[in-house]
Amino acid sequence: MATVDKNKAVLTFLATYPDIQTNPIFVNFINAKNDTIQFLTNDNDKRLNKPFVDGSVLKRYTLTLVISKSITNMAIAKDILSNENLEDIASIQAMMDWLNEQGDNAIYPDFGIDCVIEDMHTTSENPSVDGINTAITPALCLYSMEIRIDYIDYTKVIWS
Amino acid sequence: MAISEFNLAQHQRAARKLLITVAEWKDDNGSVTIDGVKYNREILGRRTEDSSIEYNADIETTTDILGINYTDINKTQPQQDFDPYLILGGSKLGAKLNDIRKRNALTELDQFNLYIITAYVGDSTNGYEAEKHVNCTITYNSLGGDANVNMPISAYFSNDITNGTVDKLSDDFSFSPDVSL
Repeated sequence: MATVDKNKAVLTFLATYPDIQTNPIFVNFINAKNDTIQFLTNDNDKRLNKPFVDGSVLKRYTLTLVISKSITNMAIAKDILSNENLEDIASIQAMMDWLNEQGDNAIYPDFGIDCVIEDMHTTSENPSVDGINTAITPALCLYSMEIRIDYIDYTKVIWS
Repeated sequence: MAISEFNLAQHQRAARKLLITVAEWKDDNGSVTIDGVKYNREILGRRTEDSSIEYNADIETTTDILGINYTDINKTQPQQDFDPYLILGGSKLGAKLNDIRKRNALTELDQFNLYIITAYVGDSTNGYEAEKHVNCTITYNSLGGDANVNMPISAYFSNDITNGTVDKLSDDFSFSPDVSL
């Protein structure tokens, strides 16, 4: 039976979020421009796999999203507490919240009939700042989030 | 009857999934019909990482005046625990046990047949060796847990055994008792 390409399944799933749908997304390639999204695959330690007596295995799939946002060097106006940087953080936080909400509601990517997703969440509550590049115009901030998907792989089960 | 060989390569280990315990119980809506009676079946051990059949041998050892030990085994009381036994969507046995639990219908807990299928003996052509225990008991031990609802169970084998083979490794298998010549 053909196995589902999990990267494609996750990309298809992520594309249902408007900000991801409308902005360029790159796979394992950094194209640091404003509003670009980088989809970076991670290695997943096989030692974390948990086999069960029926032959099924709990596995983990992780990926990292890096989102590039132009930033301003202007200090915030203290009376209104608003500038481009704060709005960018809020928009990326909204993306994280959406991902976690999908996980809470068991709305998952389609990993095929042999894999049942158990859980999908980001590994942190807030996006991480991976770097700030002021050498280019506009200056960019790289935000990242790791998404963790736990699923049961029934491929090797012998009982049907 | 000759002892059957394992269907494994020399020194190959048998994967745990090749030792299968299946519960069977009467159910008017069951998917399996045996002698006109409908049954349901379900493999035990989904989401269980480690489970063994404990034989609980009743052993009596005496030592004579020469210091020689004589060990008698009076009986075995095979038992297999499944912990965790998670409440899982689609689990027919889980639903059955939960129904018995909420009605406290304890007498219904001893109406199970249990199959121990050793899929490392036999093949899909000639069948896999199996033993059928009738009138076995399955108990629920607790209900709760942390992130997911867990209802650990224990299966008590009756030792009322019929040896035979199953023709396939799925809920709709046919069990054929061994024929003594």
